[in-house]
Amino acid sequence: MNNELHQQFVRDMLTESFEGLDRFDQDILQLEKGGVPDETLHTIFRVVHTLKGTAGCLGFTRIQRLAHAGENVLDRLREHQLAPSTALAGVLLRLSDGLRAHLTSIDATGREADADHGALIAELDRIHQPSTSVPEPAAAPRPAIFPEASVPAEIPVATAEPAGWGLFDPLPEASFPAPSNATAASESSETPPAFASTATTATAAPASSSSVRVDTGHLDRLMNLVGELVLARNQLMQVAQSRTARPETVAEVSQRLNRITTELQEGVMKTRMQPIGNVWSKLPRIVRDIAVGLGKQVRLETIGSETELDRTIVEAIRDPLTHIIRNSIDHGIESPEVRVQAGKPAEGTLLMRAFHEGGRVNIEIVDDGAGINLHKVRQRALERALLSADDAARLSERELIALIFAPGFSTAEKVSDVSGRGVGMDVVRTNIEKIGGSVDVQTTAGEGTTLRIKIPLTLAIVPALIVRSGAERFAIPQVSLVELVRLEGEAATRAIEQVYGAPVFRLRGQLLPLVFLHAELKLVSKPALADVVHIVVLQSDSRQFGLVVDAICDTEEIVVKPLGKHLMGLPMFAGATIMGDGRVALILDVPGLAQHARLLGENRERAASRQAAGADDASERSQLLLFSLGGRERLAMDLDQAARLEEFSRDRIEFTAGREAVQYRGRILPLVRVGRHLPGAHASAATGDEKIQVIVYEKGGHAVGLVVDRICDIIEEVVDLQPGSATPGIAGSAIVQGRITDLVDVAYLLNAAGVSTTRAA
Amino acid sequence: MSRTVLAVDDAMTMRKMVSFTLRSAGLEVIEATNGAEALQKLSGAQVDLIITDVNMPQMDGIEFTRQARALLRGRPVPILILTTESDQSKKELGRAAGATGWIVKPFQQEQLLAIVGKVLPGSVTAGAR
Repeated sequence: MNNELHQQFVRDMLTESFEGLDRFDQDILQLEKGGVPDETLHTIFRVVHTLKGTAGCLGFTRIQRLAHAGENVLDRLREHQLAPSTALAGVLLRLSDGLRAHLTSIDATGREADADHGALIAELDRIHQPSTSVPEPAAAPRPAIFPEASVPAEIPVATAEPAGWGLFDPLPEASFPAPSNATAASESSETPPAFASTATTATAAPASSSSVRVDTGHLDRLMNLVGELVLARNQLMQVAQSRTARPETVAEVSQRLNRITTELQEGVMKTRMQPIGNVWSKLPRIVRDIAVGLGKQVRLETIGSETELDRTIVEAIRDPLTHIIRNSIDHGIESPEVRVQAGKPAEGTLLMRAFHEGGRVNIEIVDDGAGINLHKVRQRALERALLSADDAARLSERELIALIFAPGFSTAEKVSDVSGRGVGMDVVRTNIEKIGGSVDVQTTAGEGTTLRIKIPLTLAIVPALIVRSGAERFAIPQVSLVELVRLEGEAATRAIEQVYGAPVFRLRGQLLPLVFLHAELKLVSKPALADVVHIVVLQSDSRQFGLVVDAICDTEEIVVKPLGKHLMGLPMFAGATIMGDGRVALILDVPGLAQHARLLGENRERAASRQAAGADDASERSQLLLFSLGGRERLAMDLDQAARLEEFSRDRIEFTAGREAVQYRGRILPLVRVGRHLPGAHASAATGDEKIQVIVYEKGGHAVGLVVDRICDIIEEVVDLQPGSATPGIAGSAIVQGRITDLVDVAYLLNAAGVSTTRAA
Repeated sequence: MSRTVLAVDDAMTMRKMVSFTLRSAGLEVIEATNGAEALQKLSGAQVDLIITDVNMPQMDGIEFTRQARALLRGRPVPILILTTESDQSKKELGRAAGATGWIVKPFQQEQLLAIVGKVLPGSVTAGAR
């Protein structure tokens, strides 16, 4: 028997059986819920029946034996001799698990799993023949004896054609050994399989991912397109050989080629598309098992299961989705008693919704459970030392929710069987981001949680922005792209500031951490124009940063080629592509790049991003430094902007270059009298005072002392900053502790005072 | 002249294995996935032998055998039932429906070909495999 052929048959069996068992599970769940039509009972039976026959022919005796035991039970079920029950459904699901385990093992190693499922077979036999505790097939006490042997061989068949072949006689080697009893004996007398392999079968590629079904009509359309492509090629060859080809002809041919290629690309893509229902079909089973295990009642609803996406992505989201569902049932949906007490139906609802939106696929997992308990999240994060007490108090709701994705985080009060296995939500997010997707959580206490996953349709061809740094070109997938900023002339030299030694760019009031691509990759920067700065604003896990490149070239649809093994470990690159001119460009991995840059200065970036977050979301809780000046009783500035608060005695003030300064920590600290630069304020009223109050402001390694009359307080409050104040030096006003308070724009002040802390990066 | 076999089985892998075995012995094979489809194919082709499974959706092998016999109107086309069932009462049903023989799965290639050679003398090419 040809080994290759044998493997082909094995792969066929795996594909056929995996599909069959998935259907089997769904049907069993249906059966458990209530009546199913007879046809379904037959279908259920046939799945196991078919597997038994096929596995037998291919020499997989364990599957054969297990399937045989199952078949007996299913036979009684379809004859209505057994009533469906939860217990029966449980056993039948274990049957499909057992069979699947064997198939999975064959898929991976070429051999059946080691488990012989003796207990399960015994249980199935008990259900099959409840009267006898030891299953003893009445007709076949020993496998070597064949009861039909007494039937005369030459019984004429009812029809006219030649009779007497004795084909109704059992052929000894063709009879299936009696089930379950004397397993050792039956094993030794096992029929040699029809398609036994002649060599080891360990090299087979996994069947689960190696074959795909394509509609033949679609295949025909593809063939048509290929035909057109051949014609276009012929035309092109002709044009290429002709010396008198007119430019219009060339344009025409290339346009034609372009159209065909696009259609072919879409067509082939479509063959790789699979409905997300392929993944979802396994969910009812998972939901049932988890819910039963936790004593909860959960109804699963799905909308949009026909939504199609690339099969590689379908594979990639299988595990994350399963885990999210586990989490939703384990942590989200409450036990029936709790739900009833809360006025909800005892049965929780888990809704899966998929839909296309803007060239991406959205998948929502909505539960009507208790929602995420932010208080517990905070506590757990503190217990796990994922953040400091300070940070914990300051975090916004959104940031707190994001913590559930932190490595090593779990809010389950007790580690349950369900959440104990598998991976954490951090791995879920990592896996989704690996395929260019994102996860977003919304939760309402007492009402439920919605997880929204956005993933690209395909990974093979993606739109990308081509940029240049040094002599190299790089592709940035457009999913991570937010906007492009081009700075020229003076703006370019002044734009980049330093916060805690980290370069940042102030983009519409937000501080954007900057990453210099040439510095990260150790290239020599060669800007096309000396006084132009190009910033590519990128998004990586709900955080933005600016990537400074030498030039921005164009957007292109790039074909993603995986990197070779030796380059695979580089987190900054997601792959490579070949450009129109035949040269290779590396594809930047945006999260990887952000991570790499962060490794070099996590604190700096965190500080910068915290400032950015503060500026970004004005309604968030922030820490303010309250101070007063003569004529302006109530002013404030962001505490993050203050490095230290100092008191100097007046006689320490010296003059350098016509400016007030003090010696401070071995350096010269220029002083700025805030009152002189702020309209409405006047120079210090308390001139007789011996001491001056100074807020030390640091930026990019330079420090400036801001002289105020009195430092009043440090408060933490939700600040609803209202701009609109046209007063220079005032960034806006807010109600703080019940009083209107103006927020000082420090950058403006320094500018007005002629003190610069910016320096060209 | 090579003979034509109508192989009926809803299980894809099993059908392929049967077809492969027969083709490797020099027979032509027409495949069908259930009794109803098989009847259609039977009426449109010159078939010399039928090998059918029993458990199939829409129309099972026993019913198919019965209807095939009617359709063949006495033409001596052997019908072999190839199934995992070895229950004597089922066999009687098959026989009553007009089956020529009953082969229990799992089958061996040699054994299947030996039986085919028996019911269709000269159809199996020796050494073709």
